[in-house]
Amino acid sequence: MKSFVRMSYPYLLWIALFIVAPMIMILLYAVTRSGSGTITFSFTLDNFGRFLSDTTFLKVLWTSLRIALLTTVFCILIGYPAALFIANLPEKRQTLMVLLLTLPMWINMLLKTYAWRGILMNFDLESEIKVFIGMVYDFLPYMILQIHTAIAKLDRNLIVASYDLGANRWKTFLKVTLPLSVPGIISGITLVFLPAVSSFVIPKLLGGGNYVLIGNLIETYFLVAGDWNFGSAISLIMALIIIASMYLTKRLDRSAVEE
Amino acid sequence: MRKLIEFRNIVKSFDGQVVLKGVNLNINENEFVTLLGPSGCGKTTLLRILGGFLDQDEGTVIFDGQCIDNVPPYKREINTVFQRYALFPHLNVYENIAFGLRIKKMGEDIIRQKVTRMLSLVNLEGYEKRNVTKLSGGQQQRVAIARALVNEPNVLLLDEPLGALDLKLRKEMQRELKRIQQEVGITFIYVTHDQEEALTMSDKIVVMNAGEIKQIGTPLEIYNEPVNAYVARFIGESNIVEGVMPADYKVRFDDKNFECVDFGFRPDEPVDVLIRPEDLTVVKPRDGVLRGEVKNVVFKGVHYELMVETRTGTSKTVQMHVVTQHDITNEQAGEKISANDFYVDLDDLQNKEMTDQDFVSIANAQAWDEENRDLSLTRVTHNIEKAPGVYTITFGTDKGTEVTVNVHVISPEYVEDARHNIGISALDFFITADEIRESMAISTDLKTWASAEAWNLQDDSSVEITDVRFDFDPADVKEGSYDITFATRGRVFKVETTSRLEVGDRVGLAFGPGDIHVMHKEVTDA
Repeated sequence: MKSFVRMSYPYLLWIALFIVAPMIMILLYAVTRSGSGTITFSFTLDNFGRFLSDTTFLKVLWTSLRIALLTTVFCILIGYPAALFIANLPEKRQTLMVLLLTLPMWINMLLKTYAWRGILMNFDLESEIKVFIGMVYDFLPYMILQIHTAIAKLDRNLIVASYDLGANRWKTFLKVTLPLSVPGIISGITLVFLPAVSSFVIPKLLGGGNYVLIGNLIETYFLVAGDWNFGSAISLIMALIIIASMYLTKRLDRSAVEE
Repeated sequence: MRKLIEFRNIVKSFDGQVVLKGVNLNINENEFVTLLGPSGCGKTTLLRILGGFLDQDEGTVIFDGQCIDNVPPYKREINTVFQRYALFPHLNVYENIAFGLRIKKMGEDIIRQKVTRMLSLVNLEGYEKRNVTKLSGGQQQRVAIARALVNEPNVLLLDEPLGALDLKLRKEMQRELKRIQQEVGITFIYVTHDQEEALTMSDKIVVMNAGEIKQIGTPLEIYNEPVNAYVARFIGESNIVEGVMPADYKVRFDDKNFECVDFGFRPDEPVDVLIRPEDLTVVKPRDGVLRGEVKNVVFKGVHYELMVETRTGTSKTVQMHVVTQHDITNEQAGEKISANDFYVDLDDLQNKEMTDQDFVSIANAQAWDEENRDLSLTRVTHNIEKAPGVYTITFGTDKGTEVTVNVHVISPEYVEDARHNIGISALDFFITADEIRESMAISTDLKTWASAEAWNLQDDSSVEITDVRFDFDPADVKEGSYDITFATRGRVFKVETTSRLEVGDRVGLAFGPGDIHVMHKEVTDA
C-alpha cells in the first residue's frame, strides 16, 4: 500500500506545479492592480467591478452562455436518438459505430474548424449560426458517447420487466430508459457545455472577427492587451459560472434519480 | 378446477438447437405449478413463451380460452417475478410497486391503497421510501413479488426467484410464497431446478428434461411413483437397480425374486427398480432380505446415511513383490543407477507400440550423480520378444553407467464376470519398500503399478475400480510378496437409519412389497 502512495508523488508534484500554482497566480492577478509588478501587491476588486459594470462585457458573457446552452441542448436533441439507435444495434455494429463516431476526434480541432470555415464561406449565414454549427459538430461525439455508455450498461431485464408490468415501448422508454440514462446526459452536458462556454478557436475562426465570446475576451486581454490582471478576473468569473452550473446539474441529476 | 392455460405442441429452438420438443401442458386456475428440471431443460424458455418475451417456432398457447400467440407481453394478464428481481433502481420501493398501476393511470388514492395492501402482504410495511438498491436480497425479492401481484394478474410467473438467496432465507421465502399464493388465490407457475422447493410448495410438479415433459403429478405421486429412473433420480435420494418382471407382482434382481405391488409389464420385461433409502430397514443379517457390509457412514443430523454393499464387485488378485533395490555405482563417472524387474502384458507388447520411455517408467529406472542430480537414461537395450518368457533390459547413461534387470513377458488371465458384464485385469509387479512408503495415495498408486483396469464386456467402456484391498502397512512394509485385490463396485444400497453402525459391520436389509417401485426403462431417443 505504502509504495503505491509513493508512486503518486510525481502526480501530486505535477498538480502542485501546473494546476494549483497557476490557479493561485490567477487569483493573485485578479485581485491586484495592474502595473504593480514589483513585490508590493496592492489589493483591489476593481477588475471585477470593471467587468460587471460594463454592458459590453456582460453582453459577451450573455452571448457565451447562450451559445453554449444552445449547443448543449442541440447536442442532446440529436445525440440522444443517435445514442439510443447505436445502443440497440448488435454488439459488433455498436463497436463500429462508436469507432466512426470517435474518428473525427482524431483529427486536429484547428484543422476541422478551418475546414468548416471553408464550407461556411459559401453560405450567407449569421456569425452566430456559423459558430453554433461548428460547436455542435465538434462537441456532439462527446454527448453521444456519454449517453450511449449509459444506455448500453442498462440492464435489459428492466426493459423486459417494464413490458411485463404493462408498459408499451414508448412508456417503457419514458419511465425506464430515459430516467436511467440521465447520468449519461449529465456527464454529456458537462463535456459539452464547459468547453463550449469557454471556447475561443471556433468563434475566432468561424465568427469572422466580429463575434466575440468570453474565451476570446480572455485571450485578448492576456495576449493582445497584456492586461493579465483583468484577464485573470474574467477567467475567475468564468470559473465561478462553471462551478455554479456544475452544481446545478448535479442537483438536477440527484432529483431526477430520486423521483 | 377450470383450465386456464394450455400449451399445445410448443416447439422452440435457438440457433438450430431444439430447446422444446413439442410440449403439451394444461394448467388450472389457482394452481401452484412447478416446472422442475436441470438447467437447459427448457423450463425457463416455456415460461418466457407464456410471458410473451419469446415466440415459439410451432404450437399455440391458449389462455382463458383464447389464443395469445400474437398478444404482446404488456397486454397479457400475466406478471413475472424475475430471477434477479429486475427492480427499477431509479424508483423507491413504493414507486416500484406502483409502476404497473401508474401505467394503467389509476387514481393516486387507489394506488396508495393497493400498494399499502401489497406491502403488508409481503411484510414490508414502512419500507415505502427505501431505495431498492439498498435492500437485502430477501427484501428485494418481496418487492418484486409485490410489484407483480399488485396488478392482480391471473397468473404469476416465478423464474427461479429464490436462486440468489441463502439456504435459511430460501426456506423462509418458500413458506412465504406458498402463503401468499393461498391468500391471493391465483395461479403460480414456478420454475426451479431445486427438487426440494418443488416438493414443498407445489400442487402439481412438471418434471422436464431435454425439452420434454417426463412426468406431471402431485409431489406425492412424483416422489412415490416416478415413471422412470430419470425422474426418480431427480426427486429425492434413490437406489435404482436393474431387474426383470417375470410376472405381475413379482420382480427379480440380484438373482432373487421379490414381491412387489406393480403389474402390467410384459413377461420378463427389463425394468428399473426403485427403493428409497428411507424404505430400507437395517436388521440383523439373518433377518434381512438382502445381506451386506457397511462400506461408508455419513452423519446427517437426524439420521445416518449408510452405503451397504450387498454384492461384491468383480475382482482380480495379483502379487506385489517388495524388493530391495541395489544401486549400481560407477566410481569412475561418479554416477549411480537403479531399476526394478517388471512384468509386461504380452497383449500390450503386441498391440501397443511400447517405447523405451515406457520401459524406463515401468522399471522405475533412474540414475543420479554425486550431487544427487537426476541424469537422463540415454541408452536402452533389450532382447524382448513378442512371446511369453523372461528377457533382459539394460538402461545406461551417457558416461556408461548401466543396470540390467529382468523383464517377465506374460499373458495374464483376465477375470471375466459374464453375469455382471465386467472384465478386470491387473499384473504382478516389483516395487521397493521406499516407493511404497513415499506414496501419497497408496490405492491409486497400486492401481498404476499393477496396471489394473476394468471394463464393460459389452461395450468395452471403462469401469471404475473402487476397491483396492491389501493387508500390509504402507508405512512399514518389509521385503516379500503380498496379495493385492482390485475390485469394481458391487451392488451398493444407500440406507437411511437412526442406528449407529460402523464401517465393516455386517447387516441385513429388510423391505416389503410396498417399498419397491418398478419402473419402465427410460426410452431414450438418440
